[in-house]
Amino acid sequence: MTAKIAVLAPRVADQIAAGEVVERPASVVKELVENALDAGAGAIRVAIENGGRTLIRVSDDGDGMGREDAELALARHATSKIRDPADLIGVATFGFRGEALPAIASVARFELETSPDGRAGTRIGVVGGKRDAVADVVRQRGTTVTVRALFFNTPARRKFLRAQATETRAVVEVLTVLALTRPDVAFTLTSDDRSLIDVPPAAGQLERVRALWGAGLADTLLPVAHCEGPLEVRGFAQRPAQARPAGRKGYVFVRGRPIRDPFILRAGEAGYRSTIAPGDRPSLILFLDLPGDAVDVNVHPAKLEVRFREKFFVEQVVEEAVRRALGPLAAAAPLGVGGLGPGIGGAWADVGAVAPGGPPGELFPREPLTPDTRPPAPLLQVFDTYLLFQTDSGVAIVDQHSAHERVLYETVMRQLSGDGAPAQRLLLPLTVEFTPPELDAIETQRELLRRVGYEIEPFSGRTVVVHTAPNPHPRFDAARCLQELVADLAGGRFGGWANRLERFAATFACRAAIKAGQRLELEEMRELVGRLLTATLPAHDVHGRPTIVQLPKEELERRFGRS
Amino acid sequence: MKFTITREQLQEGLGAVAAAIPAKTTLPVLANVLLEATKQGIRLSGTDLDIAVSTTVPAEVDAEGAVTLPAKKLVDIARELPAGPVRFAAAGEARVSIECGRSKFKLLGLPREEFPSFPAVKFDGAWKAAAGVVHKLVGHVAFAASTEESRPILNGVLWELRPDRMRMVATNGHRLAKMDVPAKGGSTADLIVPPKALEQIRRLFAAEDAIEVAKSDNHIGFRAGGTLVFSRLIEGPYPNYEQVIPRENDKAATVDKAAMAAALRRMSVVASDQTHRIRLAFAGGAVKFSVQTPDLGEAQDELPVTYEGEPLEIGFNAMYLLEILKYMPTDEVRLTFKAPERASTVEPVGWNDPASYMALVMPLRLVD
Ligand SMILES: Nc1ncnc2c1ncn2[C@@H]1O[C@H](COP(=O)(O)OP(=O)(O)OP(=O)(O)O)[C@@H](O)[C@H]1O
Ligand SMILES: [Mg+2]
Repeated sequence: MTAKIAVLAPRVADQIAAGEVVERPASVVKELVENALDAGAGAIRVAIENGGRTLIRVSDDGDGMGREDAELALARHATSKIRDPADLIGVATFGFRGEALPAIASVARFELETSPDGRAGTRIGVVGGKRDAVADVVRQRGTTVTVRALFFNTPARRKFLRAQATETRAVVEVLTVLALTRPDVAFTLTSDDRSLIDVPPAAGQLERVRALWGAGLADTLLPVAHCEGPLEVRGFAQRPAQARPAGRKGYVFVRGRPIRDPFILRAGEAGYRSTIAPGDRPSLILFLDLPGDAVDVNVHPAKLEVRFREKFFVEQVVEEAVRRALGPLAAAAPLGVGGLGPGIGGAWADVGAVAPGGPPGELFPREPLTPDTRPPAPLLQVFDTYLLFQTDSGVAIVDQHSAHERVLYETVMRQLSGDGAPAQRLLLPLTVEFTPPELDAIETQRELLRRVGYEIEPFSGRTVVVHTAPNPHPRFDAARCLQELVADLAGGRFGGWANRLERFAATFACRAAIKAGQRLELEEMRELVGRLLTATLPAHDVHGRPTIVQLPKEELERRFGRS
Repeated sequence: MKFTITREQLQEGLGAVAAAIPAKTTLPVLANVLLEATKQGIRLSGTDLDIAVSTTVPAEVDAEGAVTLPAKKLVDIARELPAGPVRFAAAGEARVSIECGRSKFKLLGLPREEFPSFPAVKFDGAWKAAAGVVHKLVGHVAFAASTEESRPILNGVLWELRPDRMRMVATNGHRLAKMDVPAKGGSTADLIVPPKALEQIRRLFAAEDAIEVAKSDNHIGFRAGGTLVFSRLIEGPYPNYEQVIPRENDKAATVDKAAMAAALRRMSVVASDQTHRIRLAFAGGAVKFSVQTPDLGEAQDELPVTYEGEPLEIGFNAMYLLEILKYMPTDEVRLTFKAPERASTVEPVGWNDPASYMALVMPLRLVD
């Protein structure tokens, strides 16, 4: 009897492997561009036609290959990047499996042209995994891979391809992500002769972000730079006030490798707690660096996932890193971002730029503004709503309500989770009337109300009597605050807040804070600004609006022609 | 209008009314002082619509008439003029020339018709009080009025006039001050007066002046010499404060005011900016102060006291206590308590004065 099991012919094995590695044109582009980067390319050109179905061509100016290597490159499990399993730990190249080229070549009309020295070159053609010709060519140093008629021999795959525009978008996305990891490399992408990406070598990630997406995004980003134990988190987090519900960018890189990890992004978003309107999604671009043995990169066929040894720790540090990025005063929105005019807002924009050749420690050289608890005089109130004062680098404009809201929110969070606020007993107890749903809200939130300072007892009918009240500032209207707070709680305002304590604190802070339109004494302004500057997140209120707007000195100088 | 006045008389008159004139106003005429030349002399008036002040100073009037002039400019001019008679002459209805020696000014004013008319308060049957007594009442009570605008009544000071006494009371709902002084004659009335008006009384009338006090439906007027002050009254009724003054406080401590204030100030350094909460523990012959502020630290202090009653721990806003101590007229004060959630009182000890004075402060909730 003949055996039922047979070892698959290499061509069949390659096609099966291709099923995992090569899903669509974008995955071909990803593999080829990663190879080019691994080969030390300084400029990479990508061209596609018909969304990549008809043609994908990736050219680089990297190391190239000699004849023997070129032939080996197309063999399964042939790689120059690792030799034994130990090399997998901490592997620094994108590739390490020796699978991509044979897999691609098995499902397309494939052509490789390469030269290691700009003189002798090799051309190898492969059709559906079958090598058909090896020839001499003359070409510059580097490699060009051309992939035509992708999936011509696997019709099932071809059927799964989406509309041309969709496939093109996927290619743009893949190349964008790789361009972010390597700002020092130039990238171009043309689709049916239309240029879609054209970015020159950049001095740093922020410059690359600007080249890819324009200043509109770049100017809303705050630098992230935080280190804890073996993990370093760098990158960019969007200013809370500029986050929108749709269209955000969310990218995570681990050891320079782009990965998909919704949990890390979510941890980053958690760092925005209490600074952002529910529903708004901030853009986050995060580069995680940690020792090679703390992460396994070989867990996903397209290397889109990694496995952290201590996932929980990583998420915690990411959250903290983002939170810290929002902390400094420099995180306050500069005047003009959001379209007041061209060039405005540039003062904070280069915070993330890498000085060419500078030591890596100076990736984000700008010092955060040192919080000084006594704001310098003069301190000016305008429109009975905004406070103006001078900072080291410009003029700060504070919204008194938002600022006080932030200050109160942080205090109240401590009080709600601790043993409560000092409540002032009232000489003349207040009686306040409520609607039935509001009375229900009072009943369910009684303990939280007590902790912020309201001790309430039913009186008669719909009336309650208030025996103690908080006293957060001299202009505090205890009855009105209680009415508004209870109405908000009953009406589900702040419903987007997941955490009940946070929701309560935000509602209370909003209602108890000094209002716009209240004239303040100098001493009150001083105290408010002083407390704002020592808050953990001074620059953002609890609705995702800024508390501080900065008018940079550079901008004044520019406007007055002094620069 | 035409008159001659000495620089000193002009300055005196302006000094009296200028403080009633608002620095910023949406109604331009309110920035002006009204000058009326009559046979009695020159009457100067200023108002911010809440309070109006007018005063009459002697002058040689050649032609009667009235005009309004920018108060600030007039004050500045009067200050810079050389000593000597100052001659005012109206040239048209809103233009005035001012001459003194060789100095000449022409100032543009506004017609007197634009100036608001003063409340009609009649002084026949007015109460009479020594200014010094009113000063004392205001000086010990007005501080306790509320500055928060949601309960306008508490922004005022209650002035009770009775046949045999006068009393002032003020409270912001957290603490209260009350003072009684014996008085003679006059009918019964309860007036709720804005502290700003009482402040003008303290400023304008000397302690030995006899003040006449009169009211109309919603205004109060004060008069002494040639000077008048009018103010809006705040509409009542004032809350029933008598009901919240504790009668059965059974614990009492007598302490040295200065020592207590010093200890409170030391504790405040570490108390939270926001609530100034400190804890007082009375037992035996001592009061222990303590304060704990998360993120900042803690502090303790101790003072000898004469204390009668069960041991007691109670929380206060240190600022309220300090403020009350500041107004206590004697070196020793007596505090009384009932329980940690009930009102405490503070009174002077051994005050040699016909007046009687007490303050009351509500505690802060303590957490253990
Ligand atoms: N553009 C290039 N320039 C120079 N050498 C290349 C290039 N592309 C591929 N090679 C060589 O061919 C080998 C095989 O490439 P291939 O992509 O199949 O495998 P890999 O990159 O080693 O691993 P992986 O399958 O994980 O991508 C590489 O190890 C490298 O030596
Ligand atoms: Mg590869």
